[in-house]
Amino acid sequence: MTGISLKNVSKSYGAVKVIDNLSLEINDGELIVFLGPSGSGKSTLLRMIAGLETIDDGSLFIGGEQSHHLAPGQRNVAMVFQNYALYPHMTVRENMEFGLKNIKLSNDEINQRVLNAARILEMDALLDRRPSQLSGGQRQRVAIGRAIVKKPAAFLFDEPLSNLDAALRVRTRVELSQLHQTVKSTMIYVTHDQTEAMTLGERIVILNECRIEQIGTPMEIYTTPRTRFVAGFIGSPSMNIFPVELTKTKNKLEAKLPDGNKISIAHDTLASGEYDLGIRPEAVSITSEGADCQGIVRVVERLGDRTLVYVELTDRSQIIAQDLGTSTIVVGDRVHLAFDSRRIHLFNKNGINALLS
Amino acid sequence: MLRNYRRETFVAMILITPFVAIYGLIFIYPTIDMFMLSFQKAPLIGDGKWVGIDNYTRLGSDRKFDTAIWNTAYFVALSVVPGTFVALFISLGIYRLSGRVQAFVLALFFLPYILPVSVVYRIWDWTLNFQFGIAMHLFDWIGFDRIPIFKVTGWFMPAVALVTIWWTAGFSILLFLAGLRAIPAEIYEASALDNASRWQTFRKITWPLLWPVTALVLTIQLISQLKIFDQVYLFSTGGRPNDNLVMVYYIFQRAFVNNHGGRAAAIAMVLFIIVIVVSVLNFQLMRFVEKKQ
Amino acid sequence: MNAQYAGKINFIGGIITLITICAAVLWAFPIYWGIISSLKPEDEVVRPFIELWPDTLTFQHYWFALTQTQIGRWYVNSIGTAVGVTFLTVTTSMFAGYAISQLTFPFRRTLYWIILASFMVPTQVLIINHFVLIANLGLLNSWAGIILPQLIHPVIIIIYKQFFDQVPKDFREAAVMDNAGEFRILFKVYMPLNWGVTTAVSIVTFIWSWNAFLWPFLAVTKTELMTITVGITQVNDAFGVYYARQLSAAVLAGFPVALAYLLFQRKVTEAITLSAGIKG
Repeated sequence: MTGISLKNVSKSYGAVKVIDNLSLEINDGELIVFLGPSGSGKSTLLRMIAGLETIDDGSLFIGGEQSHHLAPGQRNVAMVFQNYALYPHMTVRENMEFGLKNIKLSNDEINQRVLNAARILEMDALLDRRPSQLSGGQRQRVAIGRAIVKKPAAFLFDEPLSNLDAALRVRTRVELSQLHQTVKSTMIYVTHDQTEAMTLGERIVILNECRIEQIGTPMEIYTTPRTRFVAGFIGSPSMNIFPVELTKTKNKLEAKLPDGNKISIAHDTLASGEYDLGIRPEAVSITSEGADCQGIVRVVERLGDRTLVYVELTDRSQIIAQDLGTSTIVVGDRVHLAFDSRRIHLFNKNGINALLS
Repeated sequence: MLRNYRRETFVAMILITPFVAIYGLIFIYPTIDMFMLSFQKAPLIGDGKWVGIDNYTRLGSDRKFDTAIWNTAYFVALSVVPGTFVALFISLGIYRLSGRVQAFVLALFFLPYILPVSVVYRIWDWTLNFQFGIAMHLFDWIGFDRIPIFKVTGWFMPAVALVTIWWTAGFSILLFLAGLRAIPAEIYEASALDNASRWQTFRKITWPLLWPVTALVLTIQLISQLKIFDQVYLFSTGGRPNDNLVMVYYIFQRAFVNNHGGRAAAIAMVLFIIVIVVSVLNFQLMRFVEKKQ
Repeated sequence: MNAQYAGKINFIGGIITLITICAAVLWAFPIYWGIISSLKPEDEVVRPFIELWPDTLTFQHYWFALTQTQIGRWYVNSIGTAVGVTFLTVTTSMFAGYAISQLTFPFRRTLYWIILASFMVPTQVLIINHFVLIANLGLLNSWAGIILPQLIHPVIIIIYKQFFDQVPKDFREAAVMDNAGEFRILFKVYMPLNWGVTTAVSIVTFIWSWNAFLWPFLAVTKTELMTITVGITQVNDAFGVYYARQLSAAVLAGFPVALAYLLFQRKVTEAITLSAGIKG
């Protein structure tokens, strides 16, 4: 079985078990993203696959081979470091050749691989320069080139865009996507930026406090978040989440909002009790009739293609609604809000999406 | 990081072996040897017999030992604190300059430090030469009788201290300059806006901020001058070495002139202990003064 | 303390600058005087009045020193031993400093503490036992005998350790992922990244060794094996009481290190500041 497979891996730092019994299957050739906030364990997981951190328990298979005891250089993976880690005293060419020389490939083979990588990354003119003479974006390409020449089973990217300025970031994102098409290798990409994850990943692994919260395609994660954390983490602006009380009356389920209003839930298998209700701003619309709740507009953000409306409800809590880009709503207006019942999420007190079970 | 500890240890052993071998041979072994030797009655080279702490107790009534201790202390007093302050004030002066002038002036002050002690000796022996030395003209102008400086006991130590200060100031100046450069310019700008005078700026700002460096310089100077030998030996040629003995000179004399290996080792041990004690005391003293600042 | 602010005429500042420059000139005067005196013929040197510039400029003393004495041999001895000390000290310190900094091995901490502790030991107290040791090894009056005890410079290994510590971990990780063995990592990554340190440390060690007096003085009794630093003070018969001649020998002895300093000023000052920082 090809691809990368983590089976029941654990890792401890001293007495503290940081990663506990985690399993993950990565398909051959896919671009998968490890997404999460700082400290979520995403980099640790990446480095465990690379061999830069030990796997204390469990096993790792790379391309079908048991790899958790192999030295980092032997695992047939290549890493692109966040700060590039280019050897400053070597030229671009020498940086790329270094690893190949260490495994004693023939000079012809080395030369061929270097030229090939340079062509793919459009760096032919830079081969004899030193890293100090290159821009940030160019250095990053060299770091990627260094990985390409190894012909690895998988590429490991550790927050590769975080050192680039905003405009360059967008361009490079696209280039990385194209690179994946060209090279067709497995790529594991670590980031804390959800935009990068959503745009690049074929699948996303969301991590929080060293646990996997959810694995899925970008759309799956967006529309059907498994946990409250995922729901709040993905989406910008983030999902509206507020506590509600679920009560059963006859055959209907009703959720009581903090301001007293009630909305019906089109699901009848839930137990009553305290839940967190989540609904994205684009599912909350400004309406004149059939309102689920009402309030006063406090902030209006006009983004051109849509308008975000921050509404203060009667109980002082805030909800973000979305209106047309051409909306004429102004601060101070009294508005009525309607929730799209198909896009309501309910999270129980353990944070799990109750409607998905 | 996944590490192969066995491999690392193997490589490490290869890397440290040359160092450890040399260190063991010329440092660890001689130190232990000296310790052992100090308890023996032995010539410089050859076997001796064990005499316990005899060599040490002899020092109590050893007049030359007293001279050596006294001279060393005297020399330290003459050279450490004055030398440090001379270097400090020179640094303050250099710091104000910039560009090529600064580089030129710094080179002039620093050059002596680069020279070997024997060259320094020749230069000053000539400058203070009783018959022909140019400094003798100073005596003439003041109206004193000329003095053969290095042959007169009272003048010997101060002169050697002067030469030593001249010779080693460069090192201290470098440190002071580094310390001065570490003080952010904004602090001086703020004090200028506060209408502080030059002296106030020095006392309230420069001096306290520079104190760690000053303490360091004092410490290094102190430890260095306790171990002095070269200048004293050289300037004593043709003069009165026994009056000018300092600790290391006495060790040298006992060992290489009188061939009393055991006794010399005992003196060396005493010096060793003095250096350690002084270092520790100095460290505590500096900490204490720092707290008071 | 540059008070060149708007509106202030810096009178006192100017005076201080003037004093500093004058002090510098005065400070260097003995060196100047020594050199100038060595360029005068002997009879002029002993004239009772002050002549700041030679009446007759002559190189005769230098000529004499270089052709009639053993200064040539002394130069060779100095260079040979200084190079030996520098090379051995720098390489062994770099290797050991790398091991302590980057590798894990038993007794690593112990080794480090022993090195730190050795700072406390003044090498001058070891002269007796160094002499005995070198004599017993039959190495008196040889280059090896001069070189060996001078290899104690714990500050250098500490400097290397600190600099190696400061190399970002990323480089090591990248090199490990590049399948580089430990030695390759040292020689191809860590050492090249620290050339500046190596150069500075080498220059300073060379100067230290060139200037060393006490040990080379003890270790060598045959004049043809002396280093120049020792030689100019020991051999008086070739020079007699000829002041200018002796001064020319001194100038010849001090010239190389002075030149090294003037050429490599920055490196030298860097290295000295470094080593002092470590001691503190």
